[in-house]
Amino acid sequence: MLKRLLEYVGFEPGRFQARWISGSEGAKFTTTIKDMTEKIKSLGPNKKMRDDIL
Amino acid sequence: MMDVIQQLREQAKKLLEEKKVDLVIGFGQGTELARTTPVFIDSPEGVSKLTWGPFCANNLAKYLTDYKNAPGNIAVVVKGCDSRSINRLLDDNQISRDKVVIIGVPCSGQLEWQKVSAEIKPGASLKEVVDNGDSVSVKTDAGDYKFDKKDYLLHRCLVCENPNPVVSDLTIGKEQPVKNYEDRFAEVQALEQMSTEEKNAYWDKQFSRCLRCYACRNVCSVCTCQTCVFDQMLPMWVSKRTNLSENTAFHLTRAFHVAGRCVDCGECDRVCPMDIPLRKLNQKIHKDLGDLFESPTPGTKPGLVSPLGEFSPGDPEEFM
Repeated sequence: MLKRLLEYVGFEPGRFQARWISGSEGAKFTTTIKDMTEKIKSLGPNKKMRDDIL
Repeated sequence: MMDVIQQLREQAKKLLEEKKVDLVIGFGQGTELARTTPVFIDSPEGVSKLTWGPFCANNLAKYLTDYKNAPGNIAVVVKGCDSRSINRLLDDNQISRDKVVIIGVPCSGQLEWQKVSAEIKPGASLKEVVDNGDSVSVKTDAGDYKFDKKDYLLHRCLVCENPNPVVSDLTIGKEQPVKNYEDRFAEVQALEQMSTEEKNAYWDKQFSRCLRCYACRNVCSVCTCQTCVFDQMLPMWVSKRTNLSENTAFHLTRAFHVAGRCVDCGECDRVCPMDIPLRKLNQKIHKDLGDLFESPTPGTKPGLVSPLGEFSPGDPEEFM
Protein backbone atom coordinates (compact mmCIF):
# COMPACT_ATOMS: atom_id res chain seq x y z
CA MET A 1 0.00 0.00 0.00
CA LEU A 2 2.72 2.47 1.03
CA LYS A 3 4.85 1.54 -1.99
CA ARG A 4 1.91 2.22 -4.29
CA LEU A 5 1.19 5.54 -2.57
CA LEU A 6 4.83 6.65 -2.84
CA GLU A 7 4.97 5.79 -6.52
CA TYR A 8 1.68 7.63 -6.99
CA VAL A 9 3.18 10.87 -5.69
CA GLY A 10 6.24 10.59 -7.91
CA PHE A 11 8.83 8.29 -6.32
CA GLU A 12 10.52 6.09 -8.93
CA PRO A 13 9.26 2.48 -8.95
CA GLY A 14 11.81 0.49 -6.99
CA ARG A 15 13.03 3.39 -4.87
CA PHE A 16 11.11 2.04 -1.93
CA GLN A 17 11.29 -1.70 -1.33
CA ALA A 18 10.12 -3.87 1.52
CA ARG A 19 11.10 -7.53 2.08
CA TRP A 20 10.33 -10.00 4.80
CA ILE A 21 13.51 -11.91 5.64
CA SER A 22 13.85 -14.23 8.59
CA GLY A 23 16.99 -14.33 10.74
CA SER A 24 17.86 -17.73 9.31
CA GLU A 25 17.65 -16.66 5.67
CA GLY A 26 21.18 -15.32 5.24
CA ALA A 27 21.40 -16.07 1.54
CA LYS A 28 18.09 -14.34 0.82
CA PHE A 29 19.31 -11.30 2.72
CA THR A 30 22.51 -11.14 0.63
CA THR A 31 20.76 -11.39 -2.72
CA THR A 32 18.04 -8.95 -1.69
CA ILE A 33 20.53 -6.32 -0.60
CA LYS A 34 22.62 -6.85 -3.75
CA ASP A 35 19.55 -6.44 -5.98
CA MET A 36 18.37 -3.46 -3.99
CA THR A 37 21.75 -1.71 -4.18
CA GLU A 38 21.93 -2.31 -7.91
CA LYS A 39 18.43 -0.99 -8.44
CA ILE A 40 19.00 2.13 -6.37
CA LYS A 41 22.35 2.80 -8.07
CA SER A 42 20.70 2.61 -11.45
CA LEU A 43 18.05 5.09 -10.31
CA GLY A 44 20.68 7.59 -9.18
CA PRO A 45 20.42 9.94 -6.21
CA ASN A 46 16.97 10.55 -4.79
CA LYS A 47 15.60 14.00 -5.55
CA LYS A 48 12.37 13.87 -3.62
CA MET A 49 11.91 15.00 -0.02
CA ARG A 50 15.41 16.32 0.41
CA ASP A 51 16.13 18.92 3.01
CA ASP A 52 18.40 21.00 0.79
CA ILE A 53 15.60 21.57 -1.73
CA LEU A 54 13.44 24.20 -0.15
CA MET B 1 -37.00 21.15 0.85
CA MET B 2 -39.22 23.16 3.16
CA ASP B 3 -40.97 20.09 4.54
CA VAL B 4 -37.60 18.48 5.25
CA ILE B 5 -36.70 21.53 7.35
CA GLN B 6 -40.13 21.45 8.99
CA GLN B 7 -39.84 17.75 9.84
CA LEU B 8 -36.27 18.20 11.05
CA ARG B 9 -37.35 20.89 13.48
CA GLU B 10 -40.36 18.88 14.68
CA GLN B 11 -38.29 15.76 15.28
CA ALA B 12 -35.53 17.71 17.02
CA LYS B 13 -38.10 19.46 19.19
CA LYS B 14 -39.72 16.15 20.11
CA LEU B 15 -36.36 14.59 21.02
CA LEU B 16 -35.43 17.55 23.22
CA GLU B 17 -38.87 17.86 24.86
CA GLU B 18 -39.05 14.16 25.65
CA LYS B 19 -35.50 14.43 27.08
CA LYS B 20 -34.36 11.67 24.75
CA VAL B 21 -31.40 13.86 23.89
CA ASP B 22 -29.72 16.83 25.58
CA LEU B 23 -28.17 18.21 22.45
CA VAL B 24 -29.00 18.34 18.75
CA ILE B 25 -26.17 18.97 16.31
CA GLY B 26 -27.44 20.18 12.96
CA PHE B 27 -27.00 22.71 10.19
CA GLY B 28 -27.94 26.36 10.72
CA GLN B 29 -28.03 29.31 8.37
CA GLY B 30 -24.63 30.97 8.14
CA THR B 31 -23.62 34.58 7.71
CA GLU B 32 -23.89 34.33 3.96
CA LEU B 33 -26.79 33.01 1.97
CA ALA B 34 -24.93 30.09 0.47
CA ARG B 35 -23.30 29.04 3.73
CA THR B 36 -24.40 26.96 6.66
CA THR B 37 -22.78 26.61 10.02
CA PRO B 38 -23.00 23.79 12.55
CA VAL B 39 -25.51 24.60 15.32
CA PHE B 40 -25.67 23.03 18.75
CA ILE B 41 -29.17 23.14 20.19
CA ASP B 42 -29.92 22.27 23.80
CA SER B 43 -33.47 23.55 24.23
CA PRO B 44 -36.74 22.94 22.32
CA GLU B 45 -36.99 26.70 21.61
CA GLY B 46 -33.74 26.58 19.68
CA VAL B 47 -34.88 24.19 16.97
CA SER B 48 -35.91 27.04 14.65
CA LYS B 49 -32.18 27.47 14.03
CA LEU B 50 -32.11 24.15 12.18
CA THR B 51 -32.02 24.22 8.43
CA TRP B 52 -31.41 21.95 5.47
CA GLY B 53 -30.59 22.56 1.84
CA PRO B 54 -27.98 22.17 -0.85
CA PHE B 55 -25.35 24.06 1.18
CA CYS B 56 -24.95 21.63 4.08
CA ALA B 57 -21.50 20.34 3.23
CA ASN B 58 -20.05 19.83 6.75
CA ASN B 59 -19.66 16.38 8.17
CA LEU B 60 -21.24 16.86 11.60
CA ALA B 61 -20.29 13.38 12.78
CA LYS B 62 -16.92 14.93 13.62
CA TYR B 63 -18.44 16.76 16.60
CA LEU B 64 -19.61 13.54 18.25
CA THR B 65 -16.06 12.84 19.40
CA ASP B 66 -15.95 16.28 21.06
CA TYR B 67 -19.09 15.47 23.03
CA LYS B 68 -18.45 11.81 23.75
CA ASN B 69 -17.88 12.45 27.46
CA ALA B 70 -20.70 14.96 27.85
CA PRO B 71 -23.66 13.83 29.97
CA GLY B 72 -26.84 12.91 28.11
CA ASN B 73 -27.51 11.74 24.60
CA ILE B 74 -26.81 13.59 21.38
CA ALA B 75 -28.77 13.75 18.16
CA VAL B 76 -26.86 14.50 14.99
CA VAL B 77 -28.02 15.33 11.46
CA VAL B 78 -26.13 13.33 8.84
CA LYS B 79 -26.05 12.91 5.08
CA GLY B 80 -25.17 9.61 3.43
CA CYS B 81 -21.44 10.32 3.35
CA ASP B 82 -21.43 11.51 6.97
CA SER B 83 -23.28 8.40 8.09
CA ARG B 84 -20.26 6.33 7.02
CA SER B 85 -18.29 8.30 9.62
CA ILE B 86 -20.79 7.24 12.28
CA ASN B 87 -20.31 3.56 11.44
CA ARG B 88 -16.57 4.09 11.56
CA LEU B 89 -16.68 5.93 14.92
CA LEU B 90 -18.84 3.13 16.35
CA ASP B 91 -16.43 0.46 15.07
CA ASP B 92 -13.51 2.39 16.58
CA ASN B 93 -15.36 2.53 19.95
CA GLN B 94 -15.14 6.31 19.81
CA ILE B 95 -18.84 6.75 20.52
CA SER B 96 -21.43 4.42 21.97
CA ARG B 97 -24.49 3.61 19.91
CA ASP B 98 -26.99 4.19 22.72
CA LYS B 99 -25.66 7.71 23.25
CA VAL B 100 -26.43 8.98 19.74
CA VAL B 101 -29.65 9.49 17.87
CA ILE B 102 -28.87 9.62 14.17
CA ILE B 103 -31.14 11.80 12.07
CA GLY B 104 -30.42 10.78 8.48
CA VAL B 105 -31.27 13.05 5.58
CA PRO B 106 -31.00 11.64 2.03
CA CYS B 107 -29.00 14.08 -0.07
CA SER B 108 -28.95 14.72 -3.80
CA GLY B 109 -25.59 16.49 -3.66
CA GLN B 110 -24.21 19.59 -2.04
CA LEU B 111 -23.26 22.74 -3.92
CA GLU B 112 -19.92 24.46 -3.66
CA TRP B 113 -20.69 27.71 -1.90
CA GLN B 114 -17.80 29.62 -3.49
CA LYS B 115 -19.18 28.97 -6.95
CA VAL B 116 -22.75 29.83 -5.95
CA SER B 117 -21.79 32.90 -3.92
CA ALA B 118 -20.02 34.32 -6.96
CA GLU B 119 -23.40 34.38 -8.74
CA ILE B 120 -25.64 35.66 -5.95
CA LYS B 121 -25.81 39.35 -5.17
CA PRO B 122 -23.88 40.09 -1.97
CA GLY B 123 -26.15 40.80 0.99
CA ALA B 124 -29.15 39.02 -0.50
CA SER B 125 -31.21 37.10 2.02
CA LEU B 126 -32.63 33.69 1.41
CA LYS B 127 -36.33 33.12 0.92
CA GLU B 128 -36.58 29.65 -0.50
CA VAL B 129 -34.42 26.88 -1.92
CA VAL B 130 -36.05 24.38 -4.24
CA ASP B 131 -34.28 21.25 -5.37
CA ASN B 132 -35.51 20.30 -8.85
CA GLY B 133 -33.35 17.22 -9.23
CA ASP B 134 -30.88 18.38 -11.88
CA SER B 135 -31.05 22.01 -10.88
CA VAL B 136 -31.55 24.12 -7.78
CA SER B 137 -33.70 27.26 -7.66
CA VAL B 138 -32.76 29.81 -5.04
CA LYS B 139 -35.20 32.61 -4.29
CA THR B 140 -33.83 35.69 -2.56
CA ASP B 141 -35.08 39.19 -1.90
CA ALA B 142 -32.67 40.39 -4.59
CA GLY B 143 -33.97 38.11 -7.33
CA ASP B 144 -34.23 34.46 -8.19
CA TYR B 145 -31.42 32.21 -9.30
CA LYS B 146 -31.28 28.81 -10.92
CA PHE B 147 -28.19 26.62 -10.76
CA ASP B 148 -27.44 23.66 -12.95
CA LYS B 149 -26.44 21.11 -10.35
CA LYS B 150 -23.64 19.35 -12.20
CA ASP B 151 -21.69 22.60 -12.66
CA TYR B 152 -22.00 23.70 -9.04
CA LEU B 153 -21.84 20.43 -7.10
CA LEU B 154 -18.98 19.73 -4.75
CA HIS B 155 -16.43 17.58 -6.48
CA ARG B 156 -17.06 14.62 -4.19
CA CYS B 157 -20.83 14.72 -4.80
CA LEU B 158 -20.38 14.00 -8.51
CA VAL B 159 -19.41 10.41 -7.67
CA CYS B 160 -21.46 9.77 -4.53
CA GLU B 161 -21.61 6.24 -3.16
CA ASN B 162 -24.27 6.74 -0.48
CA PRO B 163 -26.81 9.48 -1.19
CA ASN B 164 -28.90 7.82 1.52
CA PRO B 165 -27.65 7.37 5.09
CA VAL B 166 -26.24 3.89 5.76
CA VAL B 167 -27.14 4.10 9.43
CA SER B 168 -29.90 6.18 11.03
CA ASP B 169 -32.54 6.11 13.72
CA LEU B 170 -34.93 8.27 11.77
CA THR B 171 -34.79 9.34 8.16
CA ILE B 172 -36.24 12.59 6.90
CA GLY B 173 -36.90 13.20 3.23
CA LYS B 174 -37.12 11.22 0.00
CA GLU B 175 -34.65 8.48 -0.86
CA GLN B 176 -32.15 9.51 -3.56
CA PRO B 177 -30.73 7.45 -6.46
CA VAL B 178 -27.00 6.59 -6.72
CA LYS B 179 -25.35 8.30 -9.71
CA ASN B 180 -22.01 7.94 -11.54
CA TYR B 181 -20.48 5.88 -8.74
CA GLU B 182 -18.67 3.62 -11.24
CA ASP B 183 -16.56 6.62 -12.38
CA ARG B 184 -15.27 7.36 -8.89
CA PHE B 185 -11.64 6.49 -9.58
CA ALA B 186 -11.37 8.17 -13.00
CA GLU B 187 -9.14 10.96 -11.70
CA VAL B 188 -6.89 8.60 -9.74
CA GLN B 189 -6.52 6.42 -12.81
CA ALA B 190 -5.59 9.42 -14.94
CA LEU B 191 -2.86 10.32 -12.44
CA GLU B 192 -1.61 6.74 -12.28
CA GLN B 193 -1.15 6.77 -16.05
CA MET B 194 1.30 9.67 -15.85
CA SER B 195 5.06 9.13 -15.94
CA THR B 196 7.09 9.30 -12.73
CA GLU B 197 8.34 12.79 -13.66
CA GLU B 198 4.84 14.05 -14.36
CA LYS B 199 3.49 12.66 -11.10
CA ASN B 200 6.40 14.16 -9.26
CA ALA B 201 5.85 17.58 -10.84
CA TYR B 202 2.11 17.40 -10.19
CA TRP B 203 2.39 16.55 -6.51
CA ASP B 204 5.33 18.90 -5.87
CA LYS B 205 3.17 21.71 -7.19
CA GLN B 206 0.35 20.68 -4.84
CA PHE B 207 2.37 20.00 -1.69
CA SER B 208 4.53 23.11 -2.04
CA ARG B 209 1.40 25.25 -1.56
CA CYS B 210 0.52 23.68 1.80
CA LEU B 211 0.38 26.17 4.69
CA ARG B 212 0.40 23.42 7.31
CA CYS B 213 -2.76 24.88 8.81
CA TYR B 214 -3.90 21.32 9.66
CA ALA B 215 -7.49 22.08 8.64
CA CYS B 216 -7.54 18.73 6.82
CA ARG B 217 -6.65 16.95 10.03
CA ASN B 218 -8.98 18.98 12.23
CA VAL B 219 -12.01 18.34 10.05
CA CYS B 220 -11.35 14.64 9.63
CA SER B 221 -13.96 12.50 11.36
CA VAL B 222 -11.60 9.54 11.76
CA CYS B 223 -8.69 11.62 13.14
CA THR B 224 -9.41 10.77 16.75
CA CYS B 225 -5.96 10.50 18.38
CA GLN B 226 -5.84 12.51 21.59
CA THR B 227 -2.30 13.61 20.89
CA CYS B 228 -1.69 14.01 17.20
CA VAL B 229 1.67 12.97 15.81
CA PHE B 230 1.93 16.36 14.10
CA ASP B 231 1.51 18.24 17.39
CA GLN B 232 3.94 16.14 19.34
CA MET B 233 7.21 17.90 20.14
CA LEU B 234 9.10 15.04 21.79
CA PRO B 235 9.88 13.18 19.65
CA MET B 236 9.09 15.45 16.74
CA TRP B 237 8.33 12.92 14.02
CA VAL B 238 7.55 15.53 11.39
CA SER B 239 9.13 18.96 11.58
CA LYS B 240 6.86 21.99 11.59
CA ARG B 241 8.86 23.76 8.92
CA THR B 242 6.81 24.60 5.87
CA ASN B 243 8.83 23.39 2.93
CA LEU B 244 8.24 20.92 0.15
CA SER B 245 10.04 18.07 1.85
CA GLU B 246 8.26 18.40 5.20
CA ASN B 247 4.92 19.09 3.54
CA THR B 248 5.25 15.92 1.49
CA ALA B 249 6.05 13.98 4.67
CA PHE B 250 3.02 15.52 6.37
CA HIS B 251 0.59 14.71 3.58
CA LEU B 252 1.80 11.16 3.05
CA THR B 253 1.68 10.49 6.79
CA ARG B 254 -1.79 12.00 7.10
CA ALA B 255 -3.17 10.03 4.17
CA PHE B 256 -1.59 6.78 5.31
CA HIS B 257 -2.64 7.26 8.91
CA VAL B 258 -6.29 7.22 7.92
CA ALA B 259 -5.80 4.42 5.34
CA GLY B 260 -8.45 1.77 5.82
CA ARG B 261 -10.46 4.07 8.10
CA CYS B 262 -11.02 7.06 5.82
CA VAL B 263 -14.70 7.00 4.82
CA ASP B 264 -14.14 9.19 1.75
CA CYS B 265 -16.35 12.00 3.00
CA GLY B 266 -14.09 14.46 1.17
CA GLU B 267 -14.04 17.04 3.97
CA CYS B 268 -10.22 17.41 3.95
CA ASP B 269 -10.35 18.28 0.29
CA ARG B 270 -13.20 20.74 0.80
CA VAL B 271 -11.68 22.68 3.69
CA CYS B 272 -8.17 23.03 2.24
CA PRO B 273 -7.58 26.79 1.87
CA MET B 274 -4.96 26.11 -0.80
CA ASP B 275 -7.16 23.75 -2.82
CA ILE B 276 -4.77 20.84 -2.56
CA PRO B 277 -6.64 17.83 -4.00
CA LEU B 278 -6.21 15.74 -0.83
CA ARG B 279 -8.99 13.40 -1.79
CA LYS B 280 -6.87 12.13 -4.68
CA LEU B 281 -4.43 10.76 -2.09
CA ASN B 282 -7.14 9.14 -0.01
CA GLN B 283 -8.90 7.80 -3.08
CA LYS B 284 -5.70 6.21 -4.33
CA ILE B 285 -5.61 4.29 -1.06
CA HIS B 286 -9.28 3.35 -1.44
CA LYS B 287 -8.62 2.10 -4.94
CA ASP B 288 -5.64 -0.01 -3.84
CA LEU B 289 -7.56 -1.40 -0.86
CA GLY B 290 -10.29 -2.42 -3.28
CA ASP B 291 -7.85 -3.91 -5.81
CA LEU B 292 -5.69 -5.78 -3.29
CA PHE B 293 -8.13 -6.73 -0.56
CA GLU B 294 -11.52 -6.30 -2.26
CA SER B 295 -12.31 -4.00 0.61
CA PRO B 296 -15.42 -1.79 0.39
CA THR B 297 -15.37 1.87 1.41
CA PRO B 298 -14.94 1.96 5.22
CA GLY B 299 -18.15 2.75 7.06
CA THR B 300 -20.52 1.57 4.34
CA LYS B 301 -21.53 -1.30 6.62
CA PRO B 302 -21.31 -1.63 10.39
CA GLY B 303 -18.60 -3.92 11.72
CA LEU B 304 -16.29 -3.72 8.69
CA VAL B 305 -12.70 -4.54 9.67
CA SER B 306 -9.96 -2.64 7.87
CA PRO B 307 -7.75 -4.99 5.84
CA LEU B 308 -4.80 -3.05 7.28
CA GLY B 309 -6.03 -3.75 10.80
CA GLU B 310 -6.14 -7.54 10.62
CA PHE B 311 -4.17 -10.42 9.17
CA SER B 312 -5.68 -12.92 6.82
CA PRO B 313 -3.77 -15.85 5.28
CA GLY B 314 -5.15 -14.82 1.90
CA ASP B 315 -3.53 -11.36 1.97
CA PRO B 316 -1.34 -10.52 -1.03
CA GLU B 317 2.31 -10.77 0.04
CA GLU B 318 4.33 -8.76 -2.40
CA PHE B 319 7.16 -8.30 0.09
CA MET B 320 7.93 -11.98 0.65
